Amino acid sequence: MADVDRVSYRVGETVILDDVTVSFAPNRFNVILGPNGAGKSTLLKIATGLLEPTSGTVCYGDRRVGDYSAPALARKRAVLSQRVELAFPLDVEDVVLMGRYPHYGRTPSRRDREIVSRSLELVGMTAKRGQQYPTLSGGEQQKVQLARVLAQIWNYDEPREPKYLFLDEPTTSLDVHYQLHLLDVARGLLDYDCTVIAILHDITMALQYGDVFFLMENGRVAHEAHDAAGIPVELVERVFQVRASRVTDPADGQGLWRFSL
Amino acid sequence: MLRRLSYGQSYILLGIILAAALVASAGIGAFTFSPERMFRYLGEGLGWIPSVAADDLGRNVFLKLRLPRVLVAGLTGAVLGVSGTLMQGLFRNPIVEPGLVGTSAGAAFGAAIIFVFGESTALSFATPLGSLAVPVAAFVVSFAATMIVYRLSTSFGKVNVFTLLLAGIAINAVCAAGTGFLSYVARDPQARNITFWNLGTFTTADWRGVELIGLFFLICFVWSLRYGKSLNALMLGESEAASLGVNPERLILQLIIVNTIMVAVATAMVGVIAFVGLVIPHVMRMLKSADYNFLLPASALFGAITMEVIDIAARVIIPPAELPIGIITAVIGAPVFLWILLRQTRSGSVGFYG
Repeated sequence: MADVDRVSYRVGETVILDDVTVSFAPNRFNVILGPNGAGKSTLLKIATGLLEPTSGTVCYGDRRVGDYSAPALARKRAVLSQRVELAFPLDVEDVVLMGRYPHYGRTPSRRDREIVSRSLELVGMTAKRGQQYPTLSGGEQQKVQLARVLAQIWNYDEPREPKYLFLDEPTTSLDVHYQLHLLDVARGLLDYDCTVIAILHDITMALQYGDVFFLMENGRVAHEAHDAAGIPVELVERVFQVRASRVTDPADGQGLWRFSL
Repeated sequence: MLRRLSYGQSYILLGIILAAALVASAGIGAFTFSPERMFRYLGEGLGWIPSVAADDLGRNVFLKLRLPRVLVAGLTGAVLGVSGTLMQGLFRNPIVEPGLVGTSAGAAFGAAIIFVFGESTALSFATPLGSLAVPVAAFVVSFAATMIVYRLSTSFGKVNVFTLLLAGIAINAVCAAGTGFLSYVARDPQARNITFWNLGTFTTADWRGVELIGLFFLICFVWSLRYGKSLNALMLGESEAASLGVNPERLILQLIIVNTIMVAVATAMVGVIAFVGLVIPHVMRMLKSADYNFLLPASALFGAITMEVIDIAARVIIPPAELPIGIITAVIGAPVFLWILLRQTRSGSVGFYG
């Protein structure tokens, strides 16, 4: 369980987060929604322990984030953000191996190597393991980054312990196939004692994949819903300044959102 | 060629080539020595075999001039190779080298201050530092210059290549102006020193240089080996590196310190040698891997090999005179620099990295 307790963040006079308290649901896909400038990224950064809040605390389980050493924290949670470009011709396998850095000292163990192969397998990039990262397409590069974070918080083998995956708009600039693939793999982690906490720029996709929703407005959490259907339409309309409607997909009866100005 | 070898095998191969380059560099020049003669001198110098009095001149030239020169060249090459690797890792870009980001120019400026004012009363504080005054001053200015360029070229944890180039130009210009001013106000022999030394030279190499550069290189090299993983992680950018457990702030500071110590000492001894730090890691990356755990030792070895070859060239191109090292490295290095830059621009990838 990841808890953000009475967190505020200020830069000078500007209040970016104002006394935010959220409890992310364990082993669920938690989505933080909100318009640009609502404080989503700041909240995520603070929840990962990479940014110190002005006041308030963040805990994983009953341990404060600040009490973890940097490598211990890196073994507990991973962060996947927008696609990274490299200026260097590093091999795909070497990029994924970075996920194991917090786990070993000088040289990777055989288990580290095995986890790297299995992570590549999970994202379907085994065939490209020896290729140079910059020669891959954008979608493939992000698959490699996904494999890296899987390797970092590897939880597929017993014994398991609670892990956290933070997604900071990782599907931005990806084709729809790669978006769905990434979110599917992330959802797959939920069965392995991993909590996913995500900011997604595509709100339709977010509502389709999320379990729990935190709607942010002006540095506060305006609404919390445990079902996409539980989000009030009027609130979405006000916060995002759009017209929204919910329709039912005749094929499977799932609720879908439509937006217009 | 190296692709099929393991890291360890690659080091052994580079080591063998380095040994051959050392022997060649020690043997070729105004005085030519056969390997057999060189080993005899070496034995005599170490007192293992009795000296042959008739061969005093050859032995003195070899032991007092040639050998230290060869060692200083190799060590300087190793310093520049490792430094280029560290700086490219820090700035996440293969166009970076100590000459570009102000490290060398800063060291030159710092050293020139002591050259010109070191004896005067105004800077008498330098006296207790003795022979270390030049490297220490070189370190201080060099550190400040590199730090300024890094801060200017980074925004939100990402390095912008254009700002990096422009900041580098500006800081280099300031340091060059300072050095230029000092050589202008200096009395004649000092000015001549500065000019020579701005182009890089091994002619003044002696055993004290070997000891100083060797000692600091060894310390900094062993120290820098700890950063292989962190440098790899930093390729992804500061915040990604942080999420992997690296403290980017501390890493950046430590990288600049370890790098500047090596470069300052080497620059204080042999002057400014540009472009070697750029080319060495680049070649190693093309031949084998971009993994910094490999690049750090490999660039040390290949840097030493390259510098021996360049030093041989400097001695044999216009005998009996010698070409300044910096001229040769610029002639070879500048086109390589432009080629890398052009390739980045063409692939549309100049801009933000990591």
